Amino acid sequence: MPGLNEKYEIIVGLEVHAELSTETKIYCACKNSFGAEVNTQCCEICTGLPGTLPTLNEKVVEYAVRMGLAANCKINNITKQDRKNYFYPDLPKAYQISQYDVPLCQNGWLDFLVDGEERRVGITRIHIEEDAGKLLHGESFSGSLVDFNRCGVPLIEIVSEPDIRSSKEAKAYLETLKQILVYLGVSDGKMQEGSIRCDVNVSVRLKGQEGFNNRVEMKNVNTFSGAARAIDYEAARQSALMEAGETVGQETRRWDDVKGENILLRSKENAMDYRYFPEPDLKTIVVDDSFVSALKEGLPELPNRKTARYMREYGLPAYDAGLLAESMDRAAFFERAAALGLCQPKNISNWLLGDITYFLREKKMELSESAVTPEKLADMVSRLEKGEISGAAAKIVAEALLDSGLSAGEIISEKGLAQVSDRDALESIVDAVLADSEKAVIQYKSGKTNVLGFLVGQCMKRSKGKGNPAVLSGIIAERLK
Amino acid sequence: MELYEYTAAELSAMFRAGECSAEEITRSALDRINTAEDKIQAFLTVTEENALETAKSADKKFSAGETLPPLAGIPIGIKDNICTNGILTTCASKILGNFIPPYDATVIKKIKTHYMPILGKMNLDEFAMGSSCENSYFKKTRNPYDTERVPGGSSGGCAAAVSAGEVPLALGSDTGGSIRQPASYCGNVGLKPTYGSVSRYGLVAFASSLDQIGVFAKTAEDAALLYSVICGKDEKDATSVRREYPDFAADISNFDCKKLRAGVPKEYFGPGIDGEVRDSVYKAIELLKENGAEIREISLPSTDYALSAYYIIACAEASSNLARFDGVKYGYRSEKFENLIDMYERSRSEGFGDEVKRRIMLGAFVLSSGYIDAYYNKAKATQALISREFASAFEQADLIITPTSPTTAFKLGEKTADPLQMYASDICTVTVNIAGLPGLNVPCGLDGKGLPIGMQFVGPHFSEEILLKAAHFYESLRGELPRALL
Amino acid sequence: MPGIDVKKIARLSRLLIDNSEAEHFQREMENIIAMVERLPDTSDIVLRLNPEDKMELRADKTGPSLKRDELLKNAPQSEAGCFVVPKVVE
Repeated sequence: MPGLNEKYEIIVGLEVHAELSTETKIYCACKNSFGAEVNTQCCEICTGLPGTLPTLNEKVVEYAVRMGLAANCKINNITKQDRKNYFYPDLPKAYQISQYDVPLCQNGWLDFLVDGEERRVGITRIHIEEDAGKLLHGESFSGSLVDFNRCGVPLIEIVSEPDIRSSKEAKAYLETLKQILVYLGVSDGKMQEGSIRCDVNVSVRLKGQEGFNNRVEMKNVNTFSGAARAIDYEAARQSALMEAGETVGQETRRWDDVKGENILLRSKENAMDYRYFPEPDLKTIVVDDSFVSALKEGLPELPNRKTARYMREYGLPAYDAGLLAESMDRAAFFERAAALGLCQPKNISNWLLGDITYFLREKKMELSESAVTPEKLADMVSRLEKGEISGAAAKIVAEALLDSGLSAGEIISEKGLAQVSDRDALESIVDAVLADSEKAVIQYKSGKTNVLGFLVGQCMKRSKGKGNPAVLSGIIAERLK
Repeated sequence: MELYEYTAAELSAMFRAGECSAEEITRSALDRINTAEDKIQAFLTVTEENALETAKSADKKFSAGETLPPLAGIPIGIKDNICTNGILTTCASKILGNFIPPYDATVIKKIKTHYMPILGKMNLDEFAMGSSCENSYFKKTRNPYDTERVPGGSSGGCAAAVSAGEVPLALGSDTGGSIRQPASYCGNVGLKPTYGSVSRYGLVAFASSLDQIGVFAKTAEDAALLYSVICGKDEKDATSVRREYPDFAADISNFDCKKLRAGVPKEYFGPGIDGEVRDSVYKAIELLKENGAEIREISLPSTDYALSAYYIIACAEASSNLARFDGVKYGYRSEKFENLIDMYERSRSEGFGDEVKRRIMLGAFVLSSGYIDAYYNKAKATQALISREFASAFEQADLIITPTSPTTAFKLGEKTADPLQMYASDICTVTVNIAGLPGLNVPCGLDGKGLPIGMQFVGPHFSEEILLKAAHFYESLRGELPRALL
Repeated sequence: MPGIDVKKIARLSRLLIDNSEAEHFQREMENIIAMVERLPDTSDIVLRLNPEDKMELRADKTGPSLKRDELLKNAPQSEAGCFVVPKVVE
């Protein structure tokens, strides 16, 4: 519908559920891991057998507080848990232990970049709760099957303010959130395993309008790009309704990413009455100030901050800075290498993001598992910058650095990769090549000077990669004058 | 005198002296169950083989010269809302009629490590909701003092069995009086300990913030012995309290009545209390006074509100706790249904009795949107008020003495028609749960019909030692109480 | 006193109540609510979380799970290692 984008403004708030990567579940000692055989990672507690009681995992509180600090939240020192009551086969106690009026963390914000511009989205709250099990459907079964393995997997729910104004912003926010979760080590961020899921709240209003219209909550949004599609679809649906003079109802809809549309689940009149009340099986959660400040001190520099700093301090382009910052290991490696002052940070970045990453992937190796150190890489890059080795030779050195344990210098001399700049030696190579390349020489002389590259390549080949291409090129040009 | 007639402390001494074996003690109890159970109907399951096996292993340990805990070889009955691994745990409900837990409650683990033979699972009001044991889906337990009358509830099976000599000891649970009131009706000592002093892990929850496992015994000393076994912090129960728990029986005779300051709250002796009950409790108080206790009249003005606050909080929690019985994971599932919701509704409607349904719905109502402030939150505030009044009462009294129940045991069917009348029999006991305090019933006489009258001692948090000592001392003043004649 | 919509409460509780029962439950619940209406004015009482009620947290250490057979032993219906419920349309 043309023109509607100019007329209406999209208001989005996101509720993100992230599974925490603790060893055990939130209220029992069952292993917290994905992919086990059905109903093999459950006990009497997480399946809600009569008489059982929950005990809260200390790591869950710690991870949630760390995420809260990363999102600039106020940490509530004294909190509690509440029961959210509803019947569903994947919820064995028929209530979810969650937090209602006093979340562990609240009133924070996150900064991130959208098209190079800084955006800030408010974080309303972060609370802890338990995940539910899974229903499996299949034609061959007499009904739906229930697998309780996921019951009691710890979750944090991160609720944003309705500060997001486009699907693009929503996607950038989600990506930032995921990056931080992974960075802090509080979640593995594996979307395909459902480690991060989100509910999307959308409303639209006329540009310039004060206050908000009814919002629609969309469930079953499983990917970040799906979230963007769901937002655009819903915004268009709501603007169309408003154009037709109808009001948008406060309702919950289910997003179908395959069909690219959503359907009504329930309207406000049928809203669930969860009958929240304080969980009587758990006592007060007290997080001391000293605990919080220790966690705060231990917090790493977050990727969004790091990216900005790399652009500022090292003059890296946004894309490269972002890629470097993505992995905590790689970022630390880069900074140590750059700090040596042996070479251009941009060159280190190029090697790290380019060939090193490529070779590591080839060797199915992590950076931390390889033999290369920041010192060795910086040494190699500086030798390249000084012309001691050619680019081609540098690739060979880089690959060898990953598993040999030798220094760049040792590899260069062992493999005889030192670049030859000695004129006499190179002149004889050039002469030999020119003698063999009659056709190219004729072409060059007839004005097709672009065969120079071919001739330099031939010389490099004959020198086994050791010839300095700049010197070679000069000699060829002289000879053919 | 038959073995089943002795107290646990006496049996323990006889066993240790080699005068009788654990197997003989257990067989005597089993024989008594055989003869008395027809009239009493206290058991839902008798676990004869298990009990004899434990007894024999206690005997073996004894003859091998191993040191055994004080209650080794002394049999016990367990209220059927406490989970026992591999043994039916029904909560006297159709909905859990076939439920066999795959785990033991923490108290059961303790009972087992003490080599106490478990004789079986005792009847109760369905899910511990009731004051007469008449809400059991399976059977109606009778009062040994008069089998036309109720044993009280909800732990009616425990109280009746102890009184009938079927078991010397029993574990029950008390949410609003479910140990003390039946103990009162059946002439037992019943201790509802401080909230948090005994692990609730494995106790099928009725109202989690009020439920507490406690003990039935013939004497205060027996109660002290059993309480010493079950109390303590449990890693599996976040609400259980870490602290030093003494051996409550070791020093039980060391009590100086002259140092006792006993508070008598006038609100517990009002017109709702039967005249004979009042006189009997006053007489017991007088006896303590003659022995040097200082008696102080005190006031707990919010007592009137306790019953209302209790029902709101208890039902709210129950509505949530009992939602898990949905025909999916365990228990009863309706034979026919159209779809998931229909399956839920039919299974629950057919599986729960009326009283349980009534409380679930009341609980859902007080928590529902628009009502939670007027009801649930207000009840919680009233709870705070009541707790505060108790705290200030305990500044001037070491313990508080009240009747345990307004009347003695009533007739079967007498109060089933009117829930409010039934609820009123808990009027003296609910305050104690509301404030999380320990409360103890000690029999203080019989009424004109020969039915036991109970006196309640209430103390500050974790004052079980004083309650047990005072009750033990009072028993020595009172003398033997006539036993139930079957 | 608010009128109690017994049918609605029953739905919320997943209980079936027929009309005659509804009336019966209605009356009983209203009596109980009437009793509750007598609660004192507690507007001066502010319920706060008590830091002295601090909970001990559990160390994040793995313990044993139940064997699947044990877990499914009490299930009214099971298949392929799972609990079975009437088909759920999501």
